[in-house]
Amino acid sequence: MSNDQNINQNSDEFFADPLPGQERYVAPLDETPLQDVDTVDETNPPTSMWADAWKTLRKNPLFIVSAVLVVLVFVVALFPQLFTRIDPRDCDLTYSLEPASPGHPFGFNNQGCDVYARVIYGARTSVAIGIYTTLLVSVLGGLIGAVAGFFGGWVDAVLSRLTDIFFAVPLLLGAIVLLQMFRTSSSIWKVIFTLTLFGWVSMARIVRGAVMEAKNLEFNTASLALGSTPGRNLFRHILPNSLAPAIVIATMSLGSYIVSEATLSFLGIGLPSSVVSWGGDISTAQQYLRTNPSVLFYPSAALAITVLAFIMLGDAVQDALDPKARTA
Amino acid sequence: MTDNQSIIAAQQIKQGPILEVKDLQVDFTTDTGKAVHAVRNSSFSVYPGQWVAIVGESGSGKSTSAMAVLGLLPGTGHVVGGSIKLEGQEIAGLSQKEYDKLRGSKIGLVPQDPMSNLNPVWRIGTQVKEALDANNMDVSKEKRSKLAAALASEDSSVALKGEDDELFVASKDLPALLDAAKAALEKNGVKRVEEEMNYFRDEWVPGSETRWRVAKDLIDAGVKDDEAWAIAKKYVLGSTMEDRIAGLLSEAGLPDAATRARQFPHEFSGGMRQRALIAIGLACRPDLLIADEPTSALDVTVQKKILDHLHMLTDSLGTSVLFITHDLGLAAERAQHIVVMYKGQVVESGPSLEVLQHPQHPYTKRLVAAAPSLASQRIISAKERGENTDALLEHKVAGENELAKSEHIITVEHLTKEFKLPRKKEMFKAVDDVSFSVKRGTTLAIVGESGSGKSTVANMVLHLLTPTSGKITYEGRDTSTFKAKDILDFRRHVQPVFQNPYGSLDPMYSIFRSIEEPLRIHGIGDKKSRSKRVRELLDMVEMPVSVMGRYPNELSGGQRQRIAIARAMALEPDVIVCDEAVSALDVLVQDQVLRLLNDLQAEKGLSYLFITHDLAVVRQIADEVVVMQHGRLVEHATTDEVFDHPQKQYTRDLLDAIPGGKLQLGLD
Amino acid sequence: MGRYLLRRILQMIPVVLGTTLLIYALVFLMPGDPVAAMFGAKPVQPAVAAQIRAEYNLDKPFIIQYLLFLKNALTFNFGKTFSGQQVLAVIGRAFPVTVKLAIMAFVFEAVFGVVFGIISGLKKGKWYDTVILVISLLLISVPTFVTGFVMQYFLGVQWHLLPITAGPNPGFLDLLMPAMVLGSVSMASIIRLTRSEITANIAEDYVRTARAKGMSNKMVVLRHVLRNSLIPVVTYLGADLGALMGGAMISERIFNIQGIGNTLYQAINRGEGTLVVSIVTLMVLIFVVCNLIVDMLYAVLDPRIRYQ
Repeated sequence: MSNDQNINQNSDEFFADPLPGQERYVAPLDETPLQDVDTVDETNPPTSMWADAWKTLRKNPLFIVSAVLVVLVFVVALFPQLFTRIDPRDCDLTYSLEPASPGHPFGFNNQGCDVYARVIYGARTSVAIGIYTTLLVSVLGGLIGAVAGFFGGWVDAVLSRLTDIFFAVPLLLGAIVLLQMFRTSSSIWKVIFTLTLFGWVSMARIVRGAVMEAKNLEFNTASLALGSTPGRNLFRHILPNSLAPAIVIATMSLGSYIVSEATLSFLGIGLPSSVVSWGGDISTAQQYLRTNPSVLFYPSAALAITVLAFIMLGDAVQDALDPKARTA
Repeated sequence: MTDNQSIIAAQQIKQGPILEVKDLQVDFTTDTGKAVHAVRNSSFSVYPGQWVAIVGESGSGKSTSAMAVLGLLPGTGHVVGGSIKLEGQEIAGLSQKEYDKLRGSKIGLVPQDPMSNLNPVWRIGTQVKEALDANNMDVSKEKRSKLAAALASEDSSVALKGEDDELFVASKDLPALLDAAKAALEKNGVKRVEEEMNYFRDEWVPGSETRWRVAKDLIDAGVKDDEAWAIAKKYVLGSTMEDRIAGLLSEAGLPDAATRARQFPHEFSGGMRQRALIAIGLACRPDLLIADEPTSALDVTVQKKILDHLHMLTDSLGTSVLFITHDLGLAAERAQHIVVMYKGQVVESGPSLEVLQHPQHPYTKRLVAAAPSLASQRIISAKERGENTDALLEHKVAGENELAKSEHIITVEHLTKEFKLPRKKEMFKAVDDVSFSVKRGTTLAIVGESGSGKSTVANMVLHLLTPTSGKITYEGRDTSTFKAKDILDFRRHVQPVFQNPYGSLDPMYSIFRSIEEPLRIHGIGDKKSRSKRVRELLDMVEMPVSVMGRYPNELSGGQRQRIAIARAMALEPDVIVCDEAVSALDVLVQDQVLRLLNDLQAEKGLSYLFITHDLAVVRQIADEVVVMQHGRLVEHATTDEVFDHPQKQYTRDLLDAIPGGKLQLGLD
Repeated sequence: MGRYLLRRILQMIPVVLGTTLLIYALVFLMPGDPVAAMFGAKPVQPAVAAQIRAEYNLDKPFIIQYLLFLKNALTFNFGKTFSGQQVLAVIGRAFPVTVKLAIMAFVFEAVFGVVFGIISGLKKGKWYDTVILVISLLLISVPTFVTGFVMQYFLGVQWHLLPITAGPNPGFLDLLMPAMVLGSVSMASIIRLTRSEITANIAEDYVRTARAKGMSNKMVVLRHVLRNSLIPVVTYLGADLGALMGGAMISERIFNIQGIGNTLYQAINRGEGTLVVSIVTLMVLIFVVCNLIVDMLYAVLDPRIRYQ
């Protein structure tokens, strides 16, 4: 393409005659009063990241609903006696599969236990498994992920392969292999350990990514240049900045651990039948599905609502802690 | 007025403005349903073939205005008032479907960020093709704007005979065409046949060169008119889609376009991507091109090349350009008409030089005073008149001459840093044998483009990276021999201010904690005295004490950078290493931060190692300059020497690339 | 590309070795006597125990046991079950049924997950978006076996739309409900993933650039929004195909399908360690191979990966 038509030539003469509508214009000063360069906006109160997140959360109906549910589930789990006076283990076969009656709103199961009482007392098991597994997963996965991300190099290579190995064993399959060994001696803690052993991988991967990202941020280099040490930075800067994604994944997976426990109980390798749990009750109730679906319904509904509450909470927290929204 | 220009002006007046925006008003709706006025009562117009620049800081509404014209306002943005007329037709209220017909063919866009504006999963050629397909472009011949057509018909040297004269050369016909051209040249007894042939090979790009141009080139080379036209008619028969794509890319200045078209965006450098985006924007020969800060993400020399090319291209096509920029110098250099926006309003508009030489609105005055490119321009023009330039060097500290003779505080000798590249045997030399020294109480600037190794030097001086070889001495002591305690002591005296104002402060730390951090690390003072010191420091950087409880995300980029400076000053250092410390800031804010740095230098006798890509800034603050390219030191001299008598071609290229450098700026 | 493929395959080898070792160690290195575990609560005669030990190499050091297991596994010799059948034969009988079930579930979740995800993502905030989101949240929260019971009760028991259980050699209709149950959670996850990907992609700069080219909304959505959004969805789907094989157990239990999952369940109940390990190893291998295929697919879909 040749350059033979120089339409635009910068020259003074050319500007001497502005085209119609392009005459010189200066806005009256009172229309856009000039402000000082770069003044601090002091109209809003100062807010930290957590305060900001809290502000966003408070306005989110998803959060309000899920938080109320989560609190309710916790209260039920901690103080079941507040909600029923009936002992869930106090069963009388003469009441087997009796429908609801005054004082027994959900009726009785096949063994003649009060379904309502069992739903109330079952909350503790599910919540305990969810909370403890999440805590252990956070510690184990968080530690492995943080170490891999922070040190990098061969440490990262070794830990990442280890993570790959555990990742290749789906949670349910791994738990089946391990728990079938304890079929006769299973307990809540064995279930928790099993879920932790096969559940830490996703946490480790997320924390590793977050730590690696935070490690490369400029404030970290700045802090080193101020005289800080890498170790100090890990605790003062890197981990606090990696917390948000870890919290989100922890909240969301809490619900999935509860589901996993129920599934294991359904397969007969979860909790021993002596423990009152939703999963166990659902599992026994399945035989009476055609005749008494309500026996299946109540523990299932309790389980679903609890899990739903945690997943919604995780969603809401994720929205509130979205890092993209904070860089602007 | 020259003939050509008067013809153009007459044409422009005859056709009327291609774009006329009147009293435009754009609102955004917040989450709470409140309306935010992003653009208020703004008017401007663009004539055919004209470059009009909208200048303003971030948040001034300049990009929003442009996107309103394109009907592509982001998020909740919508036009609430005023009119937008394209060739006299109101387009403000059009539906997206109707807009689809205008976009691409009538209005093109060259967007800002070359990294994010190309879809990573499609080949470059495919993304150009989409534009052609979307507008049903006839790829075999050129589509010319009315203005260009009118001008071409008045161009007496070659008369266009018909529609077919706009057909493109096809790659399959090119060899035959060249053979025929050679035969014709020889037959007509043209001397220096090879030279002419080389010119033809360069010019006759398949999918871009038209029949009438081929004929014209042949005639110009000495072939008889009818013979030239016969050859052109025989061999120039229209191009294929592939040829056209390659032609468009090569018009935008992409070398080896046919191969490049088959590559993916991640195989392109930033400059190449921007060229691809220009090819896309101009693919359907729009009458109006909106260029939204098209080069702000690129190195200065690349920026200049690309803008030069775009200018040449739009001129020959008769395309009007609405040029959005934050750089007043760049705007004045490229556009005939300037529109200055501030806080969503047009505060001043008019012919570029007039606005620049006699700014009337206080905001424009402020902008003109702060623009580094213009400031260095003022120094040059003042020198040319033999005037005293001291008054203009506002950022320079008086009395530096005495200090200049004192000792060197930091000396760098034969510094080299090699990195291992993945899957490559040989080491990559990021820094290659660089030596310089910083004199106490002065500023040494290291200038270079991306990949020059300047930041690597800074990190080695800061003792954050270990050199492969070479020596860095601080106060006469070799820093490589430092033990942990020495390093801690060294850190007290040599402090950094980094580039990214959004990254260098921990978002989880309050401003107080951020500034206090160095005091804590070095165990200085108790809680009370530290708190007092933080207040002093905030005062020093002219920030209200009330920001102590705030968090970085509540502050602007410039404010964060001032906090970073306060943090660096906390330990009363001798040396501050500024790694692109002002590059990300708007001009006015940049000016303010530079002023602060200079005041501190004057007050505390600080020495600065100032890393930047912007020579214009260097002129204002540095005493000495080191120019780096590809890890090597290109030139090292005093600032005046570098600007007045650059020794190396690369330095001259950098100087040429300063936007506004060519402006004939009268002193106001 | 070839280089990338080779690297991924090489990386897979330690993972496969590590994974099989992990599973093997879990079964045979845990505290407690595996032989005793085989017999559950029943007392074991010492002679029988010794014979079993010899048969399963339990009298040799652990690492030798593992290597022998590996050698046998490589020659498809997984030993015999308690009832004297070849493990391979048992698996061979059950496997096709599960593959059929898994593929049906895969098609179900892929089609409905992607379609609803796209509708939801493109029409964010509309009432049907909300409905789709609520349903997907419910499907994720309710355990699969409960979903299974509910569907069985309504579709089978109450409305007689589909067979309640599948007998031996189940046909398409027999497996339809089990497949829906099996794919339900993944479908919900795919809906959520597709929706969030579309939401993120639609705000990308290159989408705006595409609009500025004058492309119609349909073309922009098709070529830029969907093309890019579906990359992570496709990789999720691929990885899920492997996981579905493992998850089939629940569906097979509920609907009494004689597939690999049910075989595994019965093996667990009878305490047949060898059979359990063999089946789980097989499933893990399938999972790993699926993940490898996903990586390949990812490289095909995202040109940026090919050159890393």
